[in-house]
Amino acid sequence: MIATVVGSYPKVPNKPRPARLRLAINKFDRGDMTLEELDRVADEVTIEVLQEQVEAGLDFVTDGQIRWEDEQTYLARNLEGVSINGLIRWFDTNMYYRQPVIEEPLAWTKPSTVRDYTFATEHSSKPVKAVLTGPYTMARLSVDRHYNSVEALAGAFAEALNREAKALQDAGATFIQFNEPAILQAKDDYTTFVASCARVVDGLSAETGLYLYFGDVEGIYPQVLDLPFDLIGLDFVMGAKNEGLLHRTPFTKKLGLGIIDARNTRLEQPAAIAERIKTLGAGIDPDNIHVSPSAGLEFLPREVAQEKLRLLAEGVRQAEGVLV
Amino acid sequence: MTTGLLTTTVGSFPKPPYLQKARNAFASGKLSREELSELEQQATREVIALQEEIGLDILVDGEMARGDMVVFFAEHFAGMEVGGLVRSYGNRYYHKPVVKGPVRWQEPITVDLWRYAQSLTDKPVKGMLTGPYTMVEWSFLEGYDDFRQAVLEMARAVNYEALELDRAGAPFIQIDEPALSTRMEDIDLAIEAMAIATEGLTAKTATHICYGDFVSAYPRFLDMPVKQFDLEMANSSHDLVELLKTEGFPEDKEIAWGVVDVHSHEIESVDDVVAEIKRGLEVLPPERLYIDPDCGLKTRTWDESADKLRVIMEGVRKVRAELGIE
Repeated sequence: MIATVVGSYPKVPNKPRPARLRLAINKFDRGDMTLEELDRVADEVTIEVLQEQVEAGLDFVTDGQIRWEDEQTYLARNLEGVSINGLIRWFDTNMYYRQPVIEEPLAWTKPSTVRDYTFATEHSSKPVKAVLTGPYTMARLSVDRHYNSVEALAGAFAEALNREAKALQDAGATFIQFNEPAILQAKDDYTTFVASCARVVDGLSAETGLYLYFGDVEGIYPQVLDLPFDLIGLDFVMGAKNEGLLHRTPFTKKLGLGIIDARNTRLEQPAAIAERIKTLGAGIDPDNIHVSPSAGLEFLPREVAQEKLRLLAEGVRQAEGVLV
Repeated sequence: MTTGLLTTTVGSFPKPPYLQKARNAFASGKLSREELSELEQQATREVIALQEEIGLDILVDGEMARGDMVVFFAEHFAGMEVGGLVRSYGNRYYHKPVVKGPVRWQEPITVDLWRYAQSLTDKPVKGMLTGPYTMVEWSFLEGYDDFRQAVLEMARAVNYEALELDRAGAPFIQIDEPALSTRMEDIDLAIEAMAIATEGLTAKTATHICYGDFVSAYPRFLDMPVKQFDLEMANSSHDLVELLKTEGFPEDKEIAWGVVDVHSHEIESVDDVVAEIKRGLEVLPPERLYIDPDCGLKTRTWDESADKLRVIMEGVRKVRAELGIE
């Protein structure tokens, strides 16, 4: 059984620890720091974040997406045909992202995340997964001034992200994950989603994952089991109905169990976590279960995020003791 | 005396740079509470003076003591704490509050500064509160198993504060629920909470809401127990007119019609404002139609805010003259 995260990790700690990245970006914005110096701080913070995940007891970590301004901009800004617009609320959270505006045909010209991935693997004692925002979510959260169809835009993003994923794979990534919260808010558009999924993983030999959070898969389950990913992660916090769906139709892929609330500071206890894993993972080979928070961790203060991961890992170890 | 098309604002004003600096100095322990309070009062005087000079009818204190609208109250309610840093966007972070235990009102929070603002003017000054649904939804929730119970107890705490403003003489009390717009499925709970929050008030009550949400939950939204809906129009007043024409609007309720876009640097023309007011007049009589900017002004500069308010006032005067309202 694997204890892991969904993607992001809080970028700055609380006092008395210094908010180094925040201060560095402020300095950079004022012209008091060079880009090289800012990059070095971001690297150091990435190392800290990798270490915190390992200390917490995780088996599979990410770079924390420390450099990502938000889950759209970081991937969109290096694509041709995109400009970045004003702030808009990210789903129903209290976090805002800058909306990509698609002005011309999208074209991938250079990788956005490969250097981050390579750096993370060089500085982590645990395996690192590569995490990208999925093409459908990228399309839904953009302003489309060129394609005039979600289908066409999602297809274009899938093409670009497929190039990114292949670049990650060439750099050694053995697990590439796509986060697709938007489809749970637009299940009527499932056909478009299926097409973008097929296109984004086309030709990949690395293991692939799909994480669906901020809701349940009612209406598209068990169909999601036919999607071309090795692992599918579900949100059992905001998607309370997922439990009943799994009970009704057995899960046939590797299962991502998002059972720790990534959006509330209330701490889950290991015994209760182990109990949840036993219930939800019943009938699934423990090796095929990845246990995680319900979504990325940036909605939490850093110290709470780490404590949640520590409790999560403890719960996973307890569950293993029972299931093995 | 004016009898229609009363003008007001949604609540916040930009903080003058000296106050912003002082708030930072206070946060890092370099300025005393008393020194900061003095500067908050100075800024409040400037906000009141500006509104008087422009000629608005219903004034606000401009929320010079508030940063985040939830954190400000969280610092004063028992059962709430100000939590760790959470990013809101880019390199911007805020201390997200935590509901730790039973929420209780303890002492007046907004009354002193409201009273101070009201002492500076003969015009009515609105009391401004954050609604119970938003207080809970935009905080971490640790102290309750049940979200609904937390919201309803929060509503009682907000009600105590509202009653203090009421007793102090506030003629208008506005209670805002911006968090509702991301979860309109919770509208029943928000309405139930608003009923508690406004219980026993003699003041006129209002709530500020996005146009789109008002429309999507129409007419259910009308059950929100307030007298006035202050609408962020986002350039959609045309559709609203159609909706109100076909669906109707209760005769005992009022609308504050947002006629300028506070999210844009550009200053609207007087003609634009006049056209917006006239759209409002297609569905409401002037006594029940209030005119204001479409959202709080705190993201604009002082000068932009003043310019937008001047344009509003000019437009209102023109229409009033046409209608023979004085």
